[in-house]
Amino acid sequence: MEITDMSLFNQLIYYFSENGQYVLNQFFRHFLMSIYGVLFAAIIGIPLGFWISRHGKLANWVLGIANVLQTIPSLAMLSILMLGLGLGANTVVATIFLYSLLPILKNTYAGVRSVDENLLDSGKGMGMTRSQVTRMVELPLALSVIMGGIRNALVVGIGIAAIGTFIGAGGLGDIITRGVNATDGGAIILAGAIPTALMAVISDIILGWIEKKLDPTRSTRFSGRKE
Amino acid sequence: MNLKKEIKLVFLLFSVFLLSACSLPGLGGTGDQEGIKIAGLATTEGQIMSFIVEGMIEHYLDVDTQVINNLGSSSVNERALLNGDADVSGVKYTGTSLTGELNQEPITDPELALEKVIEGFDKQFNQKWFPSYGFANSYAFMVTQETAEKYHLEKISDLEPYADQLNAGADTSWLKREGDGYAAFLDLYNFDFKRVYPMQIGLVYDALAAGEMDIVLGYSTDGRIASYDLVVLEDDLNLFPPYDASPVATKEILEKYPDLEGVLLKLQGQIDDEQMQNLNYQADNNLLEPQVVAQDFLKEHNFFEDVQTSEGGE
Repeated sequence: MEITDMSLFNQLIYYFSENGQYVLNQFFRHFLMSIYGVLFAAIIGIPLGFWISRHGKLANWVLGIANVLQTIPSLAMLSILMLGLGLGANTVVATIFLYSLLPILKNTYAGVRSVDENLLDSGKGMGMTRSQVTRMVELPLALSVIMGGIRNALVVGIGIAAIGTFIGAGGLGDIITRGVNATDGGAIILAGAIPTALMAVISDIILGWIEKKLDPTRSTRFSGRKE
Repeated sequence: MNLKKEIKLVFLLFSVFLLSACSLPGLGGTGDQEGIKIAGLATTEGQIMSFIVEGMIEHYLDVDTQVINNLGSSSVNERALLNGDADVSGVKYTGTSLTGELNQEPITDPELALEKVIEGFDKQFNQKWFPSYGFANSYAFMVTQETAEKYHLEKISDLEPYADQLNAGADTSWLKREGDGYAAFLDLYNFDFKRVYPMQIGLVYDALAAGEMDIVLGYSTDGRIASYDLVVLEDDLNLFPPYDASPVATKEILEKYPDLEGVLLKLQGQIDDEQMQNLNYQADNNLLEPQVVAQDFLKEHNFFEDVQTSEGGE
């Protein structure tokens, strides 16, 4: 009774002090689900992106399929995959994987295509093999654009992991739903929503910073001015 | 060169599928065969009970456990057990499962209902329905301590002489329900209240405590009964079907972990209505997570280490 009389902010503080470990566990779980999904999408998406950038006709097909996947509402996708994969975290990881494919594929494709033809030619002229050109010319030049795709995918993934609670995957979504079901759940909803939002914002900032660091045009411009 | 690339790609694809088939570190994957998975419900009570079961199993058996939470209803919960997504159900109620999963007519005699679900779950689903935890989450009429003293109320029949002076609040769906609804109530108890107000079930306790209602129909294990010190009237003519709560486990998991049965039997009769009200109160009112409530409860009772269980239980 005294607790329900507290202000929302005090309730929130009280909630964190009493359930800190639980929130931390769910936070970690939530983050892992998002990371795994994006990681698998990167493992598949980046090589696939390079591959389709060499096969112009295929690119339209592959990007088209990824585009269609993206249009399926996330809750529907979760439910469809649940039929095959069952309940739990793995299904959420698979859903995030499918959603992350498009941004990563698209950005890899765009990044590789935007590499200057002359640079590829000069690489070839220096006697580089095809794989050397890929590794030493295309990849470094496209890396920041690819990172941009991963950044997008992770932010979306964190959002999807939050609805994973409906198929019993756990994560911060559990806390949010409990707050919605409780009579005076305002504080509990915030206790779940604030860490989720923070996770998305902070990962966005960190990956944005990495993206900038990897941008080759910036560093060359810099050194160019110096000289 | 191109061929090499394609081989690499196929290898990558293959390795990802291989990876996704096993459990991912840190997530305690649900796809693997080891460990015990517990299906929970979306209700506070369902979650607390699932975590109590999880805590007990982790304490006694050296296996990984995982709670699959927030399953919307008892039927979805049952699906999870049948599909192999879960092995143990944290809590099932006789009344719900009898009319839900087993699709049978409601039975008002608690003993008979329990017998029916034990038999039904054994035959239809090959699952073991355990003896009750000791509490039942049924519909119940309740009044404030003050009203109970004023009219000397203990059971619903005691209301008869005063009912026409009392305003009642009840769940909207109960008013229209067949079997154990308002019409059935009038038939069986043969008296009516001054007026019955349809309300949302979550609001009836507050309305009663605030004095806006004289008597309300609520759930017998709600935490607010404890916090407002309400008096639950006994359903002496057995209008409401019993909702005795029990854990349920698949026969496969009981065979795989023979000690599991003994662990679940330790909980038999350990949690009565009042205790459950108290646990619900801690989660709903005191902002504790069901998992925290369950852990504290088990520690307080030393994981029921002193409880001797009679082998078999059947």
